[in-house]
Amino acid sequence: MRAAWIIAMKDLALRIRDRSLFVLAIIAPLVLALVFDVVFGGTVGGEDAGLDLSFGVVDLDAGPLSDSFVSTLDSIAADGLATVTGFGSSAEAVAAVEAGEVAAAFMLPAGMSAGYLAGGGAEIEIVGDVDAPTTVGIATSIADGFASASRTGAMAAATALAGGAIGPGDMAEVAVEAAAAPPPVTLGNIDAVTRQLQPPTSFVAGLAIFFMFFVAGAGVTSMLEERSEGTLGRLLVAPIGRGSILAGKSITSIIIGVGSLAILVVASAYLMGAEWGPPLGVAGLVVSAVLAVVGLMSLVGGLARTPEHSANLQAIVGVTFAMLGGTFVPIAPGEGILATLQYLTPNGLFVRGLGDLAGAGVSAAVPTMLSLLAIAAVAGVFAVVVVARRLQR
Amino acid sequence: MGGNGPVLEAVGLRKRFGDLEAVRGVGFTIDPGETYGLLGPNGAGKTTTISMVSGLLEKDAGEVTIAGLPVTTTALEPKRLVGLVPQEVAIYPDLTARENLRFFGRLYEMTGKALAQRIDEVLAVIGLSDRADDRAKDFSGGMKRRLNIGIGLLHRPALLILDEPTVGVDPQSRNAILESIEELSAEGMAVLYTTHYMEEAERLCDRVGIIDQGEIRAEGTRRQLVESIGEQDRLRIEASGPLREVSARLGELPGVTGTSAGDGVVEVLADDGGAILSPALALLAAAGVAVSSVTIEEPDLEAVFLHLTGKALRD
Ligand SMILES: Nc1ncnc2c1ncn2[C@@H]1O[C@H](COP(=O)(O)OP(=O)(O)OP(=O)(O)O)[C@@H](O)[C@H]1O
Ligand SMILES: [Mg+2]
Repeated sequence: MRAAWIIAMKDLALRIRDRSLFVLAIIAPLVLALVFDVVFGGTVGGEDAGLDLSFGVVDLDAGPLSDSFVSTLDSIAADGLATVTGFGSSAEAVAAVEAGEVAAAFMLPAGMSAGYLAGGGAEIEIVGDVDAPTTVGIATSIADGFASASRTGAMAAATALAGGAIGPGDMAEVAVEAAAAPPPVTLGNIDAVTRQLQPPTSFVAGLAIFFMFFVAGAGVTSMLEERSEGTLGRLLVAPIGRGSILAGKSITSIIIGVGSLAILVVASAYLMGAEWGPPLGVAGLVVSAVLAVVGLMSLVGGLARTPEHSANLQAIVGVTFAMLGGTFVPIAPGEGILATLQYLTPNGLFVRGLGDLAGAGVSAAVPTMLSLLAIAAVAGVFAVVVVARRLQR
Repeated sequence: MGGNGPVLEAVGLRKRFGDLEAVRGVGFTIDPGETYGLLGPNGAGKTTTISMVSGLLEKDAGEVTIAGLPVTTTALEPKRLVGLVPQEVAIYPDLTARENLRFFGRLYEMTGKALAQRIDEVLAVIGLSDRADDRAKDFSGGMKRRLNIGIGLLHRPALLILDEPTVGVDPQSRNAILESIEELSAEGMAVLYTTHYMEEAERLCDRVGIIDQGEIRAEGTRRQLVESIGEQDRLRIEASGPLREVSARLGELPGVTGTSAGDGVVEVLADDGGAILSPALALLAAAGVAVSSVTIEEPDLEAVFLHLTGKALRD
């Protein structure tokens, strides 16, 4: 391990000296972040300019439950916090969202009140603007708050009373019934809405990992360079284990990879307001993704004979993984084997992990981190075998 | 170390690359303080042999021990005792001379003051003290070679292996290199030296192994080797014309034991140089070869090599 550090420090010193460290770890991610800012800046940064709390509502129920919800919304609007626009049909509301007239629309389906009073559940559907995740999040919590309030029997009883369905004498009975009933409002698809990064951020994340494939191969490529420069022979006759050579090269790759990705994350957050999520979780994902990519690239580099050959192979593998991982063309969940394959790539996993992180916090991203570490371990073991054979000759 | 056994013992080394058996049963021993030369032409198997000796290359067959420790590609103990100076300069061009030495010193577990001090000593030995903090890429070819040697002797190895360390070096630097090797040897370091320069082998080596096509053809002190071929003279003829054809026909003259043709030179090994002179010149004239000079030399390692292999060291 001592020897591995000595080798890694020497490599880093060389990379600082020939400036490739600055290019790989600092300049390139900054340039990438700037490019992203130019390309996506308007959509990602736009939200920060001012929160757009313009809601739409479609009341197809026109029953006591929906009335109560609409009046809740109206009271928020009356405080001047938001605007509420009523629409006659779902189609109109969707069109308004797509046109950017409202940021999110609540759909109160026909029969919502009746279903609730009959003891069943009801759903409030939310249609949101993909570029206004915060507004959609707020809409979700409004609906959520309404749902938990209505879950208390008092409100159920009140709506029943107002509708004249029962007399005041039965009130206690209704209240008890309502408390035992399933939650009246289940928030359809909230999971899907919140557990997905907004497209620009996820695209940036995908490109960042794609970029990692070129950065994290540096260590193993430099081993091939040492081989053609003859210094590898000197390492091989030195009293150090052969494993320390590979370990030293991997340490170099990991340091450069983590440094570079960290700078990209921070720079894109500042420049374009990309929201990566809780720092601890992002750090965990960054490190595990870099380890996975270093493992894969070491394996690929170990199969090559020359530094050029290695760089070419790494480029091919980098592009292939980016395509499989949905970096260039998003892969919809329904696309069978491709959708599964996506999560065997560091690219797909990293983006999914960030989504989990944004939607449900650090613990939700742990399985993805473990998957990335598993890729790192498997590829790493194969890399050791392949590189050890390379060092034999 | 400093014990009574040999520093290096190699027995029956073999190495095959595909169809080519590059080393075919090579063995030799080197005692403490002894300088052993492997003298042979390009492709003889010198580098392959020392790669196995230093634990760089897996052997197909044979045994190597250094101070009694078996050498393999993974055994670390014997590696501590060996310093290798590879044939091709192997240094980091973007590091300074001092940084190159420091990096390799650390790999050999040297640290702190002891390392810094040893680096200064080595820089003095290789004559790079005043360029110590310049990057190696700005060095001349000879300076790079000297740094290449310095890295090999930094950790005071019991056995220093040098693979043709003077190729491409000007006569002055070359002399400096040879002198420092002589000094190290006088201090008790065992040296394994490969070369295809006869003069270097004659000057430096206590014993020489003549290697050709992967085999050691003869071994001994210079005197033993020269005596082994008997009283022989070497005729060195500088000439121009169809030298290769002519050299074959020279070989058929009575009393000739070997011939070779090189770049503008034909060499003839004969029992009696004086007796062969006039028939040889007549033959050359008849073949239309223009002779510019002829010398008759006392037997030397070049003659031994010619005798053993029927060719010159430098083809
Ligand atoms: N890695 C290799 N793969 C295939 N053939 C090799 C390899 N290394 C050496 N050889 C072959 O083995 C033979 C011996 O090579 P070697 O380098 O040991 O010769 P040498 O005596 O050191 O020659 P030189 O004086 O030119 O350095 C040559 O024919 C060479 O082509
Ligand atoms: Mg050689």
